[in-house]
Amino acid sequence: MTIRTSTLVATGLLAALTGCYYYVPDPPNSKADTYRPVYLAFADARLVQTLGPQPLKMPGKIYVKDNFLLINEVGRGIHVVDNRDPAKPVKLSFISIPGNRELAIKDSILYADNALDIVALNIADPRNVTLVKRLENTFSPTDFPDARNIRFECPDPDKGIVIRWEKTAVAQADCYR
Amino acid sequence: MKKPLPFGGGVGVGYCRMKQILYYFLVLATLLSCEKGSSSADSISPGSGTGGSTARFTVANNALYVVTNTSLQAYDITRSGNPRIGSKTNIGVGVETIFPYRNNLFIGTQTAMYIFDLGIPDQPRRLSVYNHFQSCDPVVAQGNYAYVTLRGGTNCRNTSLNTLDVIDISNLSKPQVIASYPMKNPHGLGIDGTVLFVTEGDFGLRVLDVTNPLLIKQTQFFQDIKAYDVIPTQKRLIVTGPDGIYQYSYADPTKLQLLSKLTVEP
Repeated sequence: MTIRTSTLVATGLLAALTGCYYYVPDPPNSKADTYRPVYLAFADARLVQTLGPQPLKMPGKIYVKDNFLLINEVGRGIHVVDNRDPAKPVKLSFISIPGNRELAIKDSILYADNALDIVALNIADPRNVTLVKRLENTFSPTDFPDARNIRFECPDPDKGIVIRWEKTAVAQADCYR
Repeated sequence: MKKPLPFGGGVGVGYCRMKQILYYFLVLATLLSCEKGSSSADSISPGSGTGGSTARFTVANNALYVVTNTSLQAYDITRSGNPRIGSKTNIGVGVETIFPYRNNLFIGTQTAMYIFDLGIPDQPRRLSVYNHFQSCDPVVAQGNYAYVTLRGGTNCRNTSLNTLDVIDISNLSKPQVIASYPMKNPHGLGIDGTVLFVTEGDFGLRVLDVTNPLLIKQTQFFQDIKAYDVIPTQKRLIVTGPDGIYQYSYADPTKLQLLSKLTVEP
């Protein structure tokens, strides 16, 4: 474990120096999966709004509060579902929260990550959600995908905040881990 | 609790009555606390909801806890609309999940399970660490046991290890592994009483009887669904996976019944 910790520190230094994140073992071969960063433009990052029900595309974390079921749409926001009858759940609204993956609730306040911030939203009326507080820059941007033994397009910080990684063919996958 | 106790005769009736009331109160308090200890959601804050085992945000009492990749950050939410930053605890690399139980937080990282005490809500105090092999590992707890799933694979350091570990937490300062069961590709888990649900990713959903944690028995294994995480609540199981959200009734835990599915749309 010590070795791994020290190698991680070393790779962290390398990352800082080169802008790429190198993992110490040999680079993956040319057949390794490749990823590209999906950027969120800085101008759009903090736009939180309530929309009508949206299609479920990529479900992430779930959360239950009283008769409501909340479903994260990875990187995009939260579906609010009326779950009084679990045999017939009804989508009520979609809270668009750029970069969102996580959620928790106390009383009628929903805490969620919004790109690099945490937002506190009043969801007493799920069709008219209002922002009550924003804690700015709580998180650091994700510089690399979760997967290992892969190649990826090195992120360009000028293009915006990386909100997720898409597994796809990449012309220039110069970074790897 | 519902049956009145025989009335204590003799002298000092008033005093006895008082003692009786006190006794009732104690019994009630004990029952209530037991009930709380055995419920599935076991959310320690009445105003909070319930998340899955892979959550990185959780609410307990008057605090919001958030794990980043390397630390645990607390926020005071005594006034829920006005979260205020509390203490930050560095944990190390690969912090993945957070699970509140009673007055503790169980944090899963890629190398260990950490137990924190929440005596001071916005200042979690580290009680102990249970180290394991490098893997992905959400954790849930109930009674004297914590259940941790360890998953190998591309996102989890390429170990081939896939297990469900049972950890005795009767002494929170000295967690001890007492059993380990082979799994296929466990992602998340949830517990209610003696029923433990384990999501096996593309391999399905397992229903386990944990009446005896040393001899866990599988009662059902749904291999036709893909499952990432679960929330068991009020005899209803909510399952999330890449194909959609499934809801089952587990009124009979040996025979789950599908209630509905919210399907992923192309």
